[in-house]
Amino acid sequence: MKKVMLLLLTGMFLFWNNVQAQEPGLTAVKILQGVDDVTNAPKDQNMSIKITLIDKDNKEELRELVMMQKGYDKRLAKFISPASQKGIAFLSLPEDVMYLYLPAFKKTRRIASHVKNTKFAGTDFTYEDMEAKMYSEKWIPELIKKDDKLYTLQLTPKKDVKTDYSKMIMEVRTDNFYPVKIAHFDKGNTLVKVMIREQIEKENGYWISKNYQMEDLKGKHKTKMMIQDVKFDSGLTDETFTERYLTR
Amino acid sequence: MNKSNLAAQMFSAILLTVSSLQAQENSVLTGIKWNGYIQTDNRMQIDNNNSFSWQEYRLDLKAEVNPVEKAHFYSEIWLRSFQFPSVQNTTDLQDKDNTSPLGLDLREAYFDIYGFIDDDLDLRIGRQRIAWGKGDRLNPTDNLNADELEDIWDFGRHLGSDGITAKYYMSDFTLSGVYIPIFNPALLPAGQLASAMSSAMDLPGELSVGSSVESIQLPDNNFKDGVTAGMKLSNQIFNFDYSLSYVYGRDDFPALEGAIFKATSDPNIIGIETRLIYPRIQVAGVDFAGSVTDIGLWGEAGVFFPDKVKSTLDMSELGMGVQESVSVDNEPYIKYVIGADYTFKNGIYINGQYLHGFIHERGSDNLENYLMFGIEKKIMNDKIKIIPVSGGIEIKDFDDIKNNYGYVFAPEFYYYPVENTEIMLSIRIVDGKDTTMFGRIKNTDELCLKFNYSF
Repeated sequence: MKKVMLLLLTGMFLFWNNVQAQEPGLTAVKILQGVDDVTNAPKDQNMSIKITLIDKDNKEELRELVMMQKGYDKRLAKFISPASQKGIAFLSLPEDVMYLYLPAFKKTRRIASHVKNTKFAGTDFTYEDMEAKMYSEKWIPELIKKDDKLYTLQLTPKKDVKTDYSKMIMEVRTDNFYPVKIAHFDKGNTLVKVMIREQIEKENGYWISKNYQMEDLKGKHKTKMMIQDVKFDSGLTDETFTERYLTR
Repeated sequence: MNKSNLAAQMFSAILLTVSSLQAQENSVLTGIKWNGYIQTDNRMQIDNNNSFSWQEYRLDLKAEVNPVEKAHFYSEIWLRSFQFPSVQNTTDLQDKDNTSPLGLDLREAYFDIYGFIDDDLDLRIGRQRIAWGKGDRLNPTDNLNADELEDIWDFGRHLGSDGITAKYYMSDFTLSGVYIPIFNPALLPAGQLASAMSSAMDLPGELSVGSSVESIQLPDNNFKDGVTAGMKLSNQIFNFDYSLSYVYGRDDFPALEGAIFKATSDPNIIGIETRLIYPRIQVAGVDFAGSVTDIGLWGEAGVFFPDKVKSTLDMSELGMGVQESVSVDNEPYIKYVIGADYTFKNGIYINGQYLHGFIHERGSDNLENYLMFGIEKKIMNDKIKIIPVSGGIEIKDFDDIKNNYGYVFAPEFYYYPVENTEIMLSIRIVDGKDTTMFGRIKNTDELCLKFNYSF
């Protein structure tokens, strides 16, 4: 009898666990919140990133970037190489405030919204793509497909959100809510860019994709970002994410 | 030892010293980071038998190190071969300064201390560029460093100044204070381009100048006379950054304090001896940058309060006595710039600025109006940048535009063949009426080729 009870309890636990991750009633909003929670889980992140630009002839160019993030809405990125871009730094703050530091001019420039949809330092990421953000704050999700491994969400921008994308299709892992693929559509509803996140690993208790790629389908150009080194919860302060530190 | 040898030897000494220090393990300099670029800049006049008008080969070297977490050293040096051999006789051929001119230019060399005394106070000591203002390379509030007009087409270039800058960060406010003990005059354009920034002196009757002697009086190098100081308060409100600033300094362009007109054996030709000084000036400034809808907007204004400079014109040798006039009036005047930019969905970027009062213009009656503009587009995954429309229009008098306009039109083509490499080809066409800045250099149309490699 005890064995039967144990089996029953084990079965119930497994069923409940499965429902937790693949709950039929799990709403699109909750899934997207799950995405935000898992991608912004660390208190702060400090990463060294190797960027590879690949053109349609498979010619490659390399860049190196240091990126720091605190919470979900503060991010600072600084180029280490190539030499022509060394020292260029980008700061993303809450409420769509972004700054760019150009060492050649010794000036920090506030980025106007028209710049946000231009390429970030020659990569296939735009300034909008690079900003620190919570998807659930800016996008309305709709669950359009699910299977054992993936939820597929369609995201449309909330009213008053400025974006160049009319919608995004996001594929999210059911086991940990990590987004693995995001298809970006322009205002004409044409698929223009696809971001793929690979090598998703758990490090120091946090899920992270150590290898992600943005492909510009029209330009036939790709940008790969490989995380070389990452530190979580190292105690970055708010002062790090200011113009003062941007210029250092 | 001639100047070029000295420059080369100094440069070698710096390199050797740094290299040897760098080689020492555990030295703070083991963490030194080097980078820079090499740039060639050749310009050929379209008229004038296709003469080369500019030749510059520049090696830029930057070094920086953080010896400890709260300190930072930065320096930037140019080693340049600039302009052309200048030889008059065989003796000149023995001087390398004449056969292959070479120069060393310490652009910046400063030391930062972060959190000096107070966590919110940063200090920068040494030669530094202090770039104030939000305008695009034309900044009426950028008055701490002396103007560097060696290349008048490189708007906004300034010399570094030896001084101290302190920045105090208080919540959303930043308060900057600058102290520069020694005055530096502006570097003026040379040769034909000098006429862009000076107008001819009107002489009575048929008189013309045979010989002229100038003497320039720099302010004394003491606490009172040499000082340039400034303060700036910066903050953000809504979608805009803004600053209020004040500078107590000197005009870096000289003003006439006196002239003696000398008679010569020819009654129609005179000699002139002039005395020039650098008058005190105070500038109160305001600037802003932000965006309205999707359009980037910026502006800045400087209210200039010059000290009055009376000039004495001694024409007694010409039988016209001694006259007094005012070469710099103490009436305040305002220079301002307002600009906007926008990037279209297809990637075309446009930028326009309206400027009242160019760098060298002084006094409310002498400030002219300029519209500067540019349109650019990057193609082929940023391998090529085209600027088909770039230049400026100058209007001296809106009531008589037909006789008071000038313009410069300078389309540019950039090609980035491999990483860190830039090749720029451009043509510059300048025209206008003689009353205008551009009109005075209308015969200087050029074809320019620049090559830049960063390392």
